[in-house]
Amino acid sequence: MVVSDSGASPQSICHALPAGIRLSLTIITILIAGLIPLEHWPAQGLLLALVFVGLSLAGVTMRYLFRRLGLFLPLLLVFGLSVPVTHSDHAAWNWMISLWLRCTVSFMAGLWLIHVLPFRELLTTLRRWRCPLVLVAMLGFMYRYTFILWDELRRLRNARAARDFGGGPWWRSWSINSQMIGLLLLRAMERAERTHRAMLARGWDGSVRFLDGDG
Amino acid sequence: MHIRDGILGPEVCLVAGAISLGAIGYSLRRLRLDLEDRAVPLTGMLAALVFAGQMVNFPLLGLPVSGHLLGGVLAAVMLGPWAGCLAIAMVLIVQALLFSDGGLLSLGANILNMGVVGAWGGYAVYATVRRLLGNGAAATVSAAVISAWLSVLAAATLFCIEFLCSSHSAGFDSRGVLSLMVLYHAFIGVGEALITGAVLAFVLARRPDLIPTPQPAGPIRTVGGFAATGLVAALAIAAILSPFKSEFPDGLDAVSEQLGFATLETERPPLVLEDYAVPAPEVAWWPGLSVSVAGILGTLVVFAGAIGLAGVTRRHAAPVVVVDGGHGR
Repeated sequence: MVVSDSGASPQSICHALPAGIRLSLTIITILIAGLIPLEHWPAQGLLLALVFVGLSLAGVTMRYLFRRLGLFLPLLLVFGLSVPVTHSDHAAWNWMISLWLRCTVSFMAGLWLIHVLPFRELLTTLRRWRCPLVLVAMLGFMYRYTFILWDELRRLRNARAARDFGGGPWWRSWSINSQMIGLLLLRAMERAERTHRAMLARGWDGSVRFLDGDG
Repeated sequence: MHIRDGILGPEVCLVAGAISLGAIGYSLRRLRLDLEDRAVPLTGMLAALVFAGQMVNFPLLGLPVSGHLLGGVLAAVMLGPWAGCLAIAMVLIVQALLFSDGGLLSLGANILNMGVVGAWGGYAVYATVRRLLGNGAAATVSAAVISAWLSVLAAATLFCIEFLCSSHSAGFDSRGVLSLMVLYHAFIGVGEALITGAVLAFVLARRPDLIPTPQPAGPIRTVGGFAATGLVAALAIAAILSPFKSEFPDGLDAVSEQLGFATLETERPPLVLEDYAVPAPEVAWWPGLSVSVAGILGTLVVFAGAIGLAGVTRRHAAPVVVVDGGHGR
């Protein structure tokens, strides 16, 4: 899993757009891709080219793009192929190509967004759009805790790898995996309690303040 | 499980998004949280946990693929339906906006299928079963196992409904899509049920105070709870019983299937939506049968798993009455 939340400062012409515009542009692109009728699928190709231009403007490397597409495309290809296999007429082929292009356009538009919209900017945008503050705060906590829990999970996995040499029937690994999630759950809840008490002790009133004053 | 953009029609995505927004708003209103409440970081932490828990891969019997936890029922059991729904919604938001896992436009549909139906509906089933079985550790685990399995089936059924309502899906055989999805998810649901049950059994054996007791006059009594219970129950019953209805084709149907099923398909105008929303009586008998078998098998396995897990928890856990750990309000 690649964490692509590196762009804290504007790096490209796409990063310079206001965050709300970036979000809206992506959603409009996906909406248009969904609204193009099946028989006009060549228009999807045009949209794909546009999204590709956007991706190169944003500085997404081809290597990253191909790696993500390599994970995404095989399932889509199989899903699309299942239609002409079961329905042997001309419309089925149209449907398949249209589905492939539609999904690829949407996926690449999503990639563009995650590349040009850092999570903190998303939170700021949500707050500006009058999203309930409780929800924004929860999202912020979740984002922060995700990385902590990943570290915790890595430690659990290391500990397991050091003591467990695999083997055994499948339900053994299922049971160990479930216990690992359970242990992670216990540690997470206890940590949330501790952190909350510590925050209250330091005067937490629910508002997050940033040093550069954009919060 | 995550729906990608482009699979569902935009109109369906927008409607599902509106419903999900309403559900999130309702959950927030029910919680009535202040910003400094401890439920705020706790919900964030549980969302992060579900996210991290999905990174743990469960091997599937020699297959090259692996499954993972979905976590809707787990979150609802730990936090209650309202915060549980918010936690799953946040997991899906972060996955869509940070990892491009699941679509942006279909985010609403994903939240509806997994967050709202998974947490609200799952919790409604969980609370009902627990009220029937009592407050013991075994009852808690069994209730979670049953509701986890049903929530996966309900999510799959809901996806089929959304897919068949989309304009893109004209030309698809509604029974075929439904039976295939329900068949697969009957098995995926068994995995989800086993993982949820095992995780809860582990937590119950160590910190039973962390799992709140459903309030007697709690959310289940409200209209939303009843509606969610009804929805999940109806979807599950429809998913399991509908193939039985089609198991009895009369002679004419059987012949028309063998001779003219394919031509019947192609003769239909591909743009008439209503034709496919209403299930046609002509359906190949085998997917129905396989769905029934899957349904029966799945139920048996889930119940066997529930009984087995219950036995394990009875041995390992002290037979405590689970008390409210201060999570209920």
